[in-house]
Amino acid sequence: MRVTADRLLGIVLLGLAALVAVQALQWQIPFSYEPVGPRAFPLGLASLLSILALVLVFRPGANGHWPHRALAVKLLMVLVLLVVYATLFTRLGYIPASLLAATILARLFGTTWGKALITGVLMAIGSYFLFTSGLGISLPDGYLAGIV
Amino acid sequence: MFDFLIHGFAVALTPMNLGLAFLGALLGTLFGSLPGIGPINGIAILMPLAYTLGLPAESALILLAGIYTGSEYGGRMSSILLNVPGDAGAVMSTLDGHPLAKKGLAGPALGLSAVSSFVGATIAIIGLTLFAPLLAEVAVMFGPAEFFALMVFAFASMSVMMGKDPLKTAIGAILGILIGTVGVDSGTGVMRYTFGMAELYDGIDFVVMIIGLFAISEILLMLEQGNRRDGLDEGIPPLGRVFVSLKEILACKGAMGRSGLLGFIIGVLPGTGASVASAVAYTTEKRISDKHDTFGQGDMRGLAAPEAANNASAAGSFVPMLTLGIPGSGTTAVLLGALMLYNITPGPMMFTERPEVAGGLIASLYIGNLVLLALNLPLAGLFARVLTIPRWVLVPGIALLAFVGVYQLHSDLTAIYLMLVIGILGYLLRKLGISLAPVILGYVLGGLMEQNLRRALSISGGDIGILWQSGISVGLWIAAAALLILPWLLPKLLAGRTRHNRTG
Repeated sequence: MRVTADRLLGIVLLGLAALVAVQALQWQIPFSYEPVGPRAFPLGLASLLSILALVLVFRPGANGHWPHRALAVKLLMVLVLLVVYATLFTRLGYIPASLLAATILARLFGTTWGKALITGVLMAIGSYFLFTSGLGISLPDGYLAGIV
Repeated sequence: MFDFLIHGFAVALTPMNLGLAFLGALLGTLFGSLPGIGPINGIAILMPLAYTLGLPAESALILLAGIYTGSEYGGRMSSILLNVPGDAGAVMSTLDGHPLAKKGLAGPALGLSAVSSFVGATIAIIGLTLFAPLLAEVAVMFGPAEFFALMVFAFASMSVMMGKDPLKTAIGAILGILIGTVGVDSGTGVMRYTFGMAELYDGIDFVVMIIGLFAISEILLMLEQGNRRDGLDEGIPPLGRVFVSLKEILACKGAMGRSGLLGFIIGVLPGTGASVASAVAYTTEKRISDKHDTFGQGDMRGLAAPEAANNASAAGSFVPMLTLGIPGSGTTAVLLGALMLYNITPGPMMFTERPEVAGGLIASLYIGNLVLLALNLPLAGLFARVLTIPRWVLVPGIALLAFVGVYQLHSDLTAIYLMLVIGILGYLLRKLGISLAPVILGYVLGGLMEQNLRRALSISGGDIGILWQSGISVGLWIAAAALLILPWLLPKLLAGRTRHNRTG
């Protein structure tokens, strides 16, 4: 059997169905007068999912287009950037973290550093005032607390 | 019986709610015209911000409904001008819309699209006004068993109608339902799939779910499409004259009327959204009026038909959502989730218990539709400019909106990490050909489905026969089975008959 995206998906889904079922069987369920407990529904879904996953394994569809290596690297970079943005969000504060994230994102999406930096600065500062004064959302100030 | 509508207009016509309808329509059109952001992404990104405004439920719903109808409008811009459909529902609009733009008639095409959207939506909103209270009266007779059967029917019709691959649609729906089971089980207090994380005890937050699934995955997908030619290189075709003439509109009146009705009926069926409606309307109209083989080469009727139909189905999908609590499309599923954030469970009782919400929404659809027409005819040129916003401005903007939208929920970072994980999941699903609409429908409906199943069986003391005891539920089970079997059986039967004819 050839390895295709659909076959892999089918196998992953089988694993997921098994995980769902095994977890459900391990729950300690307090006594109740209800005829149907919390287990039945997930177990039903897991069995349905495993049937569909098996169909997928044996009759996979077209393989689709998957990113080549350069693009995959870029995708990973965007993901790492988003995770870094999340960790810096409260530590650095909204404005510096967003400035950094927006600038690098703009650069990754194909503009020059100069334009990216302008986008980042305008967007971070503009959106901060829009969100805080306009919509009344409180955003983390981080190290800038007291300056702004 | 139309008290709710009078009440509704009283709610919708307050200055604040009128302003919100206007704001929603404007924001929706802007977001809908943004390249790559369809209606569902637009609502997903804007919804948490609407939530922060602290509006009462009916006002929030009016704002969201404005965004919804507005973004359906705005999504047409790129179909007509760039031949790039913003979402599945807009594919049919490119067939005659883009050839019109190439002929130098981009302005009139946009105008006609606005008028036919208006006509289609108006037909459907009138249908909604007449039909919804009636259906709500029937729906009062629904017990848990009937609701369970109805949801099975909804998932069946969705699997068949939505997306190209029924198998993958069904898988998407199951994944959505499974995500919905995370959290404390309300019946017994058992922790389900929380893996000891306190943040998951209340389940996966709706806002985190839709922003991750739609906004974050969109960012990742855009990176891929960035390298592809987008049609933008050629620039936007000149708009020409901006207004469509009365003669041109009248030439399309048949197409608009027929397609509006058709779109409404298709929109009412749960699970079948704008893409089915516009496809059926286009092919029907082609069969009826394409006498000189002009469809596909810039025939105005070929644009009017899908436009009227997809806006009609957008309004039509409110019927099952408001009366039965079953959303008719992915986008209405997002709206339903938004309502649940306000502790309102849409359903038959809403017309009697919360008439200001049901009536206010319907009334605001009338108003929003007028506002949209008034906005779109003169401002088409401005909205068309939105299309030229480059990706490197758009993507950082979406990222900031997504992060703030999730952060403001509980001011905590776990939700943001969860959003990123769901975003990666959404990206993978889309790459694997599983569309996100069934996932979100499953997520929204799954909890209700389980509740109704458990309630039904506790009424019958565990006897599973209660699920097909009443006429209504038997009818729904048969309809669901027919939907699943017919598409598979019909071609075989037809093939068998032609073979028979040939030999005979």
